[in-house]
Amino acid sequence: MTIAGLSRYYEDYRPGDRVVHRRGHTVSAADNQLLSLLTMNTAQTHYNEHSLLAYMDGMFSAPPLNACVALALATGLTSEDMTENMLADLGYTALRTHAALFVGDTIYAESEVLETDGPSGREDAGVLRYRITARRPDADVVLTVERRALVKRRCHWQTRDERFAKRAHADAVTLLTTHPKKPP
Amino acid sequence: MTDQSASTSKPYGYEDFTPGRVFCHHWGRTLTETDAILFSTQTHQAHPAQYNSDYARQIGFAARPVSELLTFSVVLGLSVADLSESGGPFLGADEIEFGEPVFASDTLYATSAVLERRPSSSRPGWGIVRWKTIGTNQHGRPVVNYERASLVRRASAAEHDAGGAP
Repeated sequence: MTIAGLSRYYEDYRPGDRVVHRRGHTVSAADNQLLSLLTMNTAQTHYNEHSLLAYMDGMFSAPPLNACVALALATGLTSEDMTENMLADLGYTALRTHAALFVGDTIYAESEVLETDGPSGREDAGVLRYRITARRPDADVVLTVERRALVKRRCHWQTRDERFAKRAHADAVTLLTTHPKKPP
Repeated sequence: MTDQSASTSKPYGYEDFTPGRVFCHHWGRTLTETDAILFSTQTHQAHPAQYNSDYARQIGFAARPVSELLTFSVVLGLSVADLSESGGPFLGADEIEFGEPVFASDTLYATSAVLERRPSSSRPGWGIVRWKTIGTNQHGRPVVNYERASLVRRASAAEHDAGGAP
């Protein structure tokens, strides 16, 4: 196996392609409190349950998940299938949170390729533009966003990527194939 | 004109967000290797350059780049005390665009301007404020910029709350 998948180069995506990503994520208290504080977010609705009594007329009974964390989780759930071969994340737009997420909620993500022919400014990579939809298992949409990422082109990278992976694993492969039962 | 708030003073509210007003946000934040790895792994970023230095060099980086979403989250986080700590929920963000790559040991700063404000049609006593924020590194070069909007309480509603809020 290579470091990133050989079936996930820029050439492999077509407008209209849809992917339902296999893994989901259950929101934990650490996701909200630790990542909010790690990223300097001082909105205490994310880490002070008592403050919720006075927040939005008490409409939240538990801390709502930080929207930046929700965006990162939703994007992350799509990343292995969509942007494992990315060289740079270019941008996001139309980020909308449709429902609050709380500790214990599970989200799954889907992707739809919107465009693959935007100018990239470099020969070895193309711009993949796709829409991310995050849902709860009951199918309620909780977050939508459009993402643009610079993804490697197979024609420029596959040979290099295969050579790199082969080098990374070469010594271990030799040990396993010449003395498979004797640890080094 | 620029302003800064502190935790001891009243957070800025709807009436403070005059279109065009600029806020130079507090603190700044130097990113560490721990921040970068923790954020990428905890949020499922399947981007190996963010946690494999050998591979990052192979694709042309001098070091592992940090997740652009960490950069966005920290810059937004630094802006919260001035812009949205008094406010209601996040309503959305648009035109999030990344500039130079960010690496561990880079320092991020956040600066914002008010783009527009209007009363909420569905929620009396509240308004919608939209800001433009730019994140820069220690060299003053842009690493991210975006627009975001939040629901913000208007003064009449805040006074009404003052009597009953704990």
